[in-house]
Amino acid sequence: MKWKKITGNLCFLFGLLLLWQLLYMAACDWFGWIKPYAVPNPAGVVRCFLLLLENGTLLSAVCGSLFRVLTGFLLAALTGILLGVCITHSDYLARNLKPLILGIQTLPSICWVPFAILWFGLTEQAILFVVVMGSAFGIALSIESCVRNVPPIYIKAARTMGVDSIQLYRRVIFPAALPNFLSGLKQGWSFAWRALMSGEVMSSSMGLGYTLMVGRDLADINQVMTVILVIILIGIVIDKGVFTLAENRVRKKRGL
Amino acid sequence: MYFMMNQVSKLFTETGKETLNNLSLEMEKGEFICIVGPSGCGKSTLLNLAAGLDTPTSGEIILDGRRVTRPGADRVVMFQQAALFPWLNVMENVMFGLSAAGYSRERQQKTAETYLKMVKLWQYRNYPIHQISGGMQQRTALARALALDAKLLLMDEPFSALDKQTIHILRAELERIWEDQKKTILYVTHSVEEAVYFADRVVIMAENPGRIKEIVPIPLRRPRDIEDAAFIALRKNILSQVQLSARESAAEEFDSGKGTLP
Repeated sequence: MKWKKITGNLCFLFGLLLLWQLLYMAACDWFGWIKPYAVPNPAGVVRCFLLLLENGTLLSAVCGSLFRVLTGFLLAALTGILLGVCITHSDYLARNLKPLILGIQTLPSICWVPFAILWFGLTEQAILFVVVMGSAFGIALSIESCVRNVPPIYIKAARTMGVDSIQLYRRVIFPAALPNFLSGLKQGWSFAWRALMSGEVMSSSMGLGYTLMVGRDLADINQVMTVILVIILIGIVIDKGVFTLAENRVRKKRGL
Repeated sequence: MYFMMNQVSKLFTETGKETLNNLSLEMEKGEFICIVGPSGCGKSTLLNLAAGLDTPTSGEIILDGRRVTRPGADRVVMFQQAALFPWLNVMENVMFGLSAAGYSRERQQKTAETYLKMVKLWQYRNYPIHQISGGMQQRTALARALALDAKLLLMDEPFSALDKQTIHILRAELERIWEDQKKTILYVTHSVEEAVYFADRVVIMAENPGRIKEIVPIPLRRPRDIEDAAFIALRKNILSQVQLSARESAAEEFDSGKGTLP
């Protein structure tokens, strides 16, 4: 059953690639509607992918980007959790700060790039800044709602067993909020990944975003497409392989 | 007196409703007291105050010579829902309060073992919470409460969400454990039968404002038989008083135009 599903998926993907190649050949080679340098084609993308893999560009770009996003995401998670806990702890902050955070969270992270360049120059910190600004606020909002949704009966039960405030967070509120918080973190991760690309495209000399821009500068649309596909692939792998997996594990353990 | 509530009143400022008015209650060590009354008479409020989860508007509550101001492990509450933590297994749940109190791992495990055996759940110690039945969950909650060796056990309709058969089994079990441990228990229930089954004294409350209407001692020998003539007579007597006070307050609401009935 499972294999049948996977084969089905692969067939669909293969069909899509075939369609893409056919459309490309029809539009460029047979009818000459579009100039070949303006649209990528599967064969070209595969060639480019192998070339980037061979000369090591791809590997160093992927490693560089992953390292950055990891650092940025950890910083964002830390900031977000602190901010979120502050909001849940004080009604005053919740009333006044929450709408502001909501607003900042809707801002596309690329808007932070000018600040980043002004304050940090064309440096690693500038990119990290964009990543943190892009994902910390979403994480803060998620932790706020997760903590608020912890069943009050857990907190009551723990308090009557003599638990103090710090223990209450550590032993009850955080574990109780974990399943929902993991989906919040997953969303935060996807924000961080997008923000990283904004940052790398604008100001970087390494990484996937930079490799993409090199493709543009060389007018190599196949390289642009290759990098886009790699970005999507990494996004999916981490989403499914790390966050969804962890989420399902926790849910299953608790019978949710 | 071991446990005292002295002229305790509770006014909820949002609604302006006086849930408890000048209520006084005294308990001796090892006593089992059940509170019955119509819904809305402040039974649960009384329990929350005793637990320290809420503070009285006036009056004071004293347990073993110390004033109650906030929740503490000397007054463990057992709720209607088991309120077990789903991220811990059965044994870890029982160990929770002990570990929060900072006991050594060895001592936690030993204590948990004692009480899990007492509620006959030792072979289920490694089960996740969602894989045991409602009755077993409530027994786990009982073991968790007993493990803390609290001075006062507060129970808020702990068996009311279970089916009849399970209730009968758990009643007998709690009775046996109480005879063995001689805990001081304040037990809120809406089942008069349950109150007569367990209590040394049954406190009957009335509403609007919440107050004690009468305290009925139950002189029957334990373990009690719910089919026994004396048991049935006591149950009927208490039930009629509870129903009377429920009718009175309904009439009061209706007469004063506060009621929503047509």
